[in-house]
Amino acid sequence: MPKGGGAGQVGRRVAKDPFREAMNGGMFRQFFEASRQAMLLVDASGEIQHANARAGMLLGYGPGELRGQPAENVFPGQAVAGHLEAGEHRAGADLYVELVGLRRDHSQFPAGVQVVPVATALGRAAVLSITDLTDQQRANFLLELGLEALGSADRDREALLGHLIRAQEEERDRIAAAIHDDTIQLLTGSNLALQQLRLRLREPEHVVILDRLAETLTASMARLRQLIFDLRPAIVRDGTITAALQDYLEQMRSDTGINYRLEDSRTVVAPARTSMLIYRTAREALLNVRKHAHAKHVQVQLRDVAGGSLVRIVDDGVGYSPADIEERPGHLGLLLMRERARAAGGWCRVESMPGGGTTVEFWVPVDGPLANGDGERDRAA
Amino acid sequence: MVKSVFGPHTPRVLEVLAGVSALSAAQIDLVARAWHQASDLERAEAWARLWRAGPAPEGYWVMGAASAARQAAKDAARKLGRADWAFWAAAWDAAAAVAGDGPADRDYEILTGPLATVMPALKRACIGAQPPGLAGRVPAQRDAELRQAARGGGHA
Repeated sequence: MPKGGGAGQVGRRVAKDPFREAMNGGMFRQFFEASRQAMLLVDASGEIQHANARAGMLLGYGPGELRGQPAENVFPGQAVAGHLEAGEHRAGADLYVELVGLRRDHSQFPAGVQVVPVATALGRAAVLSITDLTDQQRANFLLELGLEALGSADRDREALLGHLIRAQEEERDRIAAAIHDDTIQLLTGSNLALQQLRLRLREPEHVVILDRLAETLTASMARLRQLIFDLRPAIVRDGTITAALQDYLEQMRSDTGINYRLEDSRTVVAPARTSMLIYRTAREALLNVRKHAHAKHVQVQLRDVAGGSLVRIVDDGVGYSPADIEERPGHLGLLLMRERARAAGGWCRVESMPGGGTTVEFWVPVDGPLANGDGERDRAA
Repeated sequence: MVKSVFGPHTPRVLEVLAGVSALSAAQIDLVARAWHQASDLERAEAWARLWRAGPAPEGYWVMGAASAARQAAKDAARKLGRADWAFWAAAWDAAAAVAGDGPADRDYEILTGPLATVMPALKRACIGAQPPGLAGRVPAQRDAELRQAARGGGHA
C-alpha cells in the first residue's frame, strides 16, 4: 500500500522523468523560440508544427504562417520525408544534408539541414535546424577561384623556369661554341705568329719579352678551354656523366680534403640534354657540400629507376635547419635543384638537419621534356 | 568545403594534414624510425612510378599535397622539439600517394607505410573506415608535450 494512501485507493506509482517533462513543457519551447538557428518542428507526417522566429525570417514567412504546411514546401522535390525517416532510423543521432531551400518569394538558397529526431507529447517528430549556406558557398567559390589563379600562376612560373633552364643551356652552348670557334682559334694563330717572330729576333731581351707574351697567351688559352668545359662539358654532352662528376669530385678532394665515393650502376644512357641537367643538378649539390657542409665524406649514387635516373648525394657534414634556410628568401641553389628536376619531368628532395648531414635525391625520366630536340645543337667542342 | 585544391582526393589529403599535426612526439619518432628502416630504392621507384602515372594537372596536386604535408609535419615536429627530417619526408611521401590517382597497391603501401604505423587509417583497406587523424591519442597528452617542449624539455 503506498504511503499516505487510504483503503480502496489503488494507484500505480509512475516514475517521473523531469527532463522529459521539461521537454514537453516550457523549457523546450523557450529554447526553440530563442535559438538563433532557424528551426522547424516537423511531425511524423512531414507537416510543420512550429517554426521559430528565425525560420520565419529566413524563409520570409510571418508568425504562424508556416504551421500546417508540408516541409516539402520549403524543400520542394528533395524527398524531405525520406530524410525525416532516415533521421529516425539513426537511433537518436542526427542527420545532416545539404538541400536547396525555397523562400516565400520563390527565391532559392543553399541550405544545410540538420535533422534531429525528438519525442514530443504528440509522438515522434523531428527538428530541422536550417543554415543558409549562401555566404559559405560564396567564400568557397572565391577561395577556389583564388586557388585556381595561384595554381595557374604556379604552372606559368614552372613553364617559365623550364624555358629559362633550356635557354640557359642553349646560351651556354652558343658561348662555348663561339669561344672555341673564334677566340681560341685567334689565340692559337697569335701564338704561332709569335713563334715565327721569335725566330727572327736577335736581341736576348726581346726574346725574353716575347717568351713572356707566349706564356700569357698559352695560359689564356688554357683558361678559355676550362671555361668551355664548364659551360659545356664534352663528356656530359656525349652522355657519360660519371667521368665529369669524377673529375669534379677529384678536384674537390684536392682543394678541400673531402673524400668521396661515386657509384654509377646505370645501364641506360640518357639523352645529352637530360645528362647535362643531371650533371648540373648534381654539381649544384656538390657545390653546396663544398661551400657549406664542412663534410669529411660525400657519397654519390646514380641508378636506373623506373625509366629514369635516380641520383642520391649524401654528405656527413653539419647539415642545416630547414626552418632557417628554406623559409628565408635568397637560397636559390635549393630552388634551382628542385626546378631543374621538375623542368625535366622529375622530382627532387633535399633534406637535412643540424648535425645530421644533408641528403639530396632527385629523379629525372630518360624520356622527359628535355629529351625532345636532343641532337639539334650537339656540336663538337 | 573546397574540393579541388589537391585534386579529387582532397578530403583525404586534408585528413592526412590534420592527422600529422596532431601526432605526439613519440609517434613522430616512430614514423621517423620506420622511414629510415624502409628501402630508399623501393621508395624512389614508387615515387618515380607515381610521378610518371599522372600528367598535369595531377602532378601539381601530388606535389602540392606533398609540400603541404611536409610543412605541416615540420611545424608539428618543431613544436615538439623533434628534428629528424625523416618524419616530414614520410609525410611528404604519404600525402603524395594519397593525392595521386590510383597508385599501385604496392607503391601506395611503400609511400604511406611509415606514417601508417601511427595513422593506420591510411592503409588502403581502411579507406572510409575512420579519419586518419584518429591515432588514439588523448588531447591532454599532446598539450602536456607541447608545454614541455616550450619549456625546452624536448622529449615526451
